[in-house]
Amino acid sequence: MPEINLWAKDGYLSTPDGNSIYFWGFAKSAAGPAQLPGPNIIARQGETITVNLHNMLAEPVSIAFPGQQVTVEGQPVQPQYKNNRLLSFVNYAEPGGTVAYTFTPSHPGTYLYESGTNPYQQVPMGLYGGMVVRPADYNPDVPEYKTAYGAGTDTGFDREYLLITGEIDPDLHQAVENGKPYRVSKYVPRYWTLNGRCAPDTMLMDHVDYLPHQPYGAMIMGLPGEKILLRYIGAGIDNHPLHPHGAHTRVVAVDGRLLRNGNADLSYKRFTVLVGVGQTYDQIYQWDGLGYTPGNPIPTVLPNLRNMGVGDAGWTMWSGSPYLGVKGDIPVGVVSYNEMGEYYFMLHSHEELQITNWGEFPGGMMTMVAIYPSLAPDIGVIG
Amino acid sequence: MAIVARIFQAAAGFLSFPGANAIPFWGFTEALADKPQYPGPLIEATAGDQILIWLMRNYLEPIVEPISITFPGQENVLVRKIPWGPFIYEPVKPQYAAGKMISLTNYLDENRDILVEYSFIASRPGIYLYESGTNPEKQVQMGLYGIIVVRPVGYNIPGHPNYKTAYGADTNSGYDVEKVLVLGEIDTVMHNNVVPNVYYDMLDFKPDFWVVNGRSFPDTINEEQISSQPYDAAINCRVGQRVLLRIVNAGFQNHTFYLGDLVGRIVAEDGMPLKTQSLDATYEKTGTTLGSGQRIDIILTPATPGEYYLYDREYQHLVNNDQFPGGMMTKINVR
Ligand SMILES: [Cu+2]
Repeated sequence: MPEINLWAKDGYLSTPDGNSIYFWGFAKSAAGPAQLPGPNIIARQGETITVNLHNMLAEPVSIAFPGQQVTVEGQPVQPQYKNNRLLSFVNYAEPGGTVAYTFTPSHPGTYLYESGTNPYQQVPMGLYGGMVVRPADYNPDVPEYKTAYGAGTDTGFDREYLLITGEIDPDLHQAVENGKPYRVSKYVPRYWTLNGRCAPDTMLMDHVDYLPHQPYGAMIMGLPGEKILLRYIGAGIDNHPLHPHGAHTRVVAVDGRLLRNGNADLSYKRFTVLVGVGQTYDQIYQWDGLGYTPGNPIPTVLPNLRNMGVGDAGWTMWSGSPYLGVKGDIPVGVVSYNEMGEYYFMLHSHEELQITNWGEFPGGMMTMVAIYPSLAPDIGVIG
Repeated sequence: MAIVARIFQAAAGFLSFPGANAIPFWGFTEALADKPQYPGPLIEATAGDQILIWLMRNYLEPIVEPISITFPGQENVLVRKIPWGPFIYEPVKPQYAAGKMISLTNYLDENRDILVEYSFIASRPGIYLYESGTNPEKQVQMGLYGIIVVRPVGYNIPGHPNYKTAYGADTNSGYDVEKVLVLGEIDTVMHNNVVPNVYYDMLDFKPDFWVVNGRSFPDTINEEQISSQPYDAAINCRVGQRVLLRIVNAGFQNHTFYLGDLVGRIVAEDGMPLKTQSLDATYEKTGTTLGSGQRIDIILTPATPGEYYLYDREYQHLVNNDQFPGGMMTKINVR
């Protein structure tokens, strides 16, 4: 039986504008850093899993697994009370203590896990993470069985990415750090995160050593025509309208439930998906290049370089050529991201304030979808 | 086919919230009953019934501005008015004065009218809001709203194919336990200004209490009759029973109603069943986001005994005076 250990700890988040923010998160080991979001949990349909939560914070902490039937010591999890007052939606670990949650996922899909204790504070502080349940027949080496919901469900994919939304109100985090009271009614997010990071950090690779508490990147990478599975999770306490440029997504499942009844396919295409809090959306993004072929001229006249606005240093996504995999001239002094002449499409919150870091554009809940001329097969693997 | 006739007045009253002083509000009341209600009186009908609502002048305690009722989702609503007419039913329409729209529908002017009568055929099963259509940015928030449940013919006749269904046979909407849950929010500063008729800029709207059926947790699970807040939100069922939650967002904010660890099947949205003869478009969710004014019917079937909390996943709404637990939260007890 797979067993996962999570430690609830504290740490400091880094934001691109130089802020350092106290937070609570789950760590992979007793000595490891707390991370935002918590370690990805990968489970398998029908296989019983136990998650041991070791609480190293100074107040009770728990984990709720929405959509799962969870037991603790053989009994279904239940709300917990102290002095007749609701303390926690599920069984919790006291400071220094441990609690073991056991469940058997009955459905494949994408799920959230999050604190069920003082959630108005502990969830915004960072005690949340994502869980992927593989279908029982999952086999990444056989295309037919490399699916989100099982063979024959039309959910096959070439690469997959988790995108977990969140917000940060620095006042809340500072109040918690200093043991000061915090009025929930004053909640005003200043940072908006994808996988715990704000743009442009969202576009950095996983596990860069200067973001020890934010190990997961949010860069979406693929090849033309590939099926890219985007798993959205709304982990914060605000809703966020997310959309990628370049192609619509096909929403194939919500909250870990395939959108299909019998033979009726209920999947649908969307330009923007409102990522509701606590909800998940599995969707397939496929960029087919508007008739792209390596030799196909693009049916438009490109502006002269002198007439083009070029982004600030570090923000140029133009390779100097309209052709995938080709690099051309760009102005002197401009640094381009395009190492291989790849195409970039934004993926961002359509609430424009949320693509800032404390009001400064660009930033926040934004990343890129990069379409490469060639790409290693180990990119776009959720581990 | 029957006639469902109700006589309403609008009146001012007081609401009770955990840890707060009494908060003034405006609510609908059955005429001659003593207290206005929050939400307004539940109207129950069977598809095909004629619904007649008489909105009567409140001589004792008028709220000193025109009042009206709109019925979103109902078609062909007709109106009559006493004593100044129209005397024969005519379709409701927006009302203007000096070129400005002052009401979304025909209204009662308590200085000159005695009553205004709204009439329509509740043709489709479903769950509907009724709410003020005059100064609605103020009056709806002050509490002038309620729910209409329209059930299919035969829903109460054992053996009938529609028996205990929300939308009729073959709509995946069969249930054992039914519960209406109305979401909303209260800005106490606004309420405390509006009643003494102090100008309140609705752009300053900032709620501080979040309610299910007019109450904040833990009052939501209190079975006692709380004066003007008669509807509790606690749900009781046995293992394996199908629980039909009829959730309506009567507030101005969006709310994400979360089913705890339970998974429910959404069988209707905005009073429209998702299963038709040709397509079953019902789907399962752990929680669902309701925009302002939206309604949703969810069926859950709890498999294990115990308690589960159902709540707004926007956790900042689970407080009273900034203290957890509170707000938009209720409980289902599974035996
Ligand atoms: Cu855009």
